[in-house]
Amino acid sequence: MSEDIDVELEKEVAEFYQSLGIHQGPGDIQYRLILRVLGKNEGKITEFSEIRKYTDQFADKGSIGSKMKTVFQLEGLVEKVKRGGYIITDKGITASNFLKDSTTFYKKNKRMDEIIERMP
Amino acid sequence: MNAGLLVNATICFAITISSFAFAWVLARSEEEHSNKSKPALWSLVILWSLVGLTYLPTTIRMVAAYMGKPTLDLMMYNLAAIPFSFVAVPLVFFILYVIVGSKKISAYVSMLFVLFGASYLTFLFTKGVIGPYVTSYSSLFTINSDIAINIYLMGLFVIPTAMILGFLLLIFLQRMPKHLRYRTALPLVAISFVFDFMLTDMITMVDVMQLVARIFVLIGTVQAFLAYFPPMTLQEKLGIKKYQYELYEEDEEDIDEDREEYPDV
Repeated sequence: MSEDIDVELEKEVAEFYQSLGIHQGPGDIQYRLILRVLGKNEGKITEFSEIRKYTDQFADKGSIGSKMKTVFQLEGLVEKVKRGGYIITDKGITASNFLKDSTTFYKKNKRMDEIIERMP
Repeated sequence: MNAGLLVNATICFAITISSFAFAWVLARSEEEHSNKSKPALWSLVILWSLVGLTYLPTTIRMVAAYMGKPTLDLMMYNLAAIPFSFVAVPLVFFILYVIVGSKKISAYVSMLFVLFGASYLTFLFTKGVIGPYVTSYSSLFTINSDIAINIYLMGLFVIPTAMILGFLLLIFLQRMPKHLRYRTALPLVAISFVFDFMLTDMITMVDVMQLVARIFVLIGTVQAFLAYFPPMTLQEKLGIKKYQYELYEEDEEDIDEDREEYPDV
């Protein structure tokens, strides 16, 4: 299933989790964007260049490659199938679903905050 | 002549005073509110003022019934019907504005309820009312138009009540700090109390029920007061009391030195 990735929203959500003291996983913009791209390409090979398209504005040189190796490959969220090509695993899909839930939680929380703000 | 009517008049007067006082206190607290909450605040001020304006002529009506003056009684009933039929307008604006956040949408939908109120009044005044039937506790009128009663029930009662219940459900389903839950849920319960029992008050044909409905309207007004200005004992009981503290100035790290004393921890 193809879905658009809203980089600004992902950034907003990551900042929200960082403000709660969660700097890894849902609070890490790079992790979020990588996982969103991988989740979008479920069942297909994700090219490294496609990930870079989204992450370049948030990443220093080499940091995405390092994250792919030390987090995603190490924890078995993706498998490297060719040079610069990854495929998401079932465990990765679980992580991707968790990420979607974290976005839903953020939206719900934001909506409720706004309601309370408007309540005299 | 019966003392029951005087009790009724006293309750109506208490509702009038407490509603106006509450509206005034809310209006006075405008400075403490942000720009985002001001539209909702003013809709609440209007709502409570309309409740007060409904029960002021009703107080005079009860005194008129006690003194045996049916013409004044009818005049005051008609006068009370005007603010009463528009009570739903600020209520709908309040709920929609708080949930949706758009002043425009809330205003347009509220205008629909102005139309409901106006058509209710048109039918009420053109078809007239039958009465008054003065009993030991109350003075009752029968609305002589089925259409007016239907508009009243569907437009002015069912929809706003459903909105309040929906909003309450939204709050109860959400995890939030206790004091915020109290602060948002209790005013809604209070408004619902007042609104629903005002309706019962207006259409009931049983004198005791009218008296009881008015007691509940009074309870609702007091409840609204408690929602905004909870007394200390209630705060302690509900666990919503704000802990008074001062910030610790020295920016030093805590060291877990006691680990040796409590090796198992």
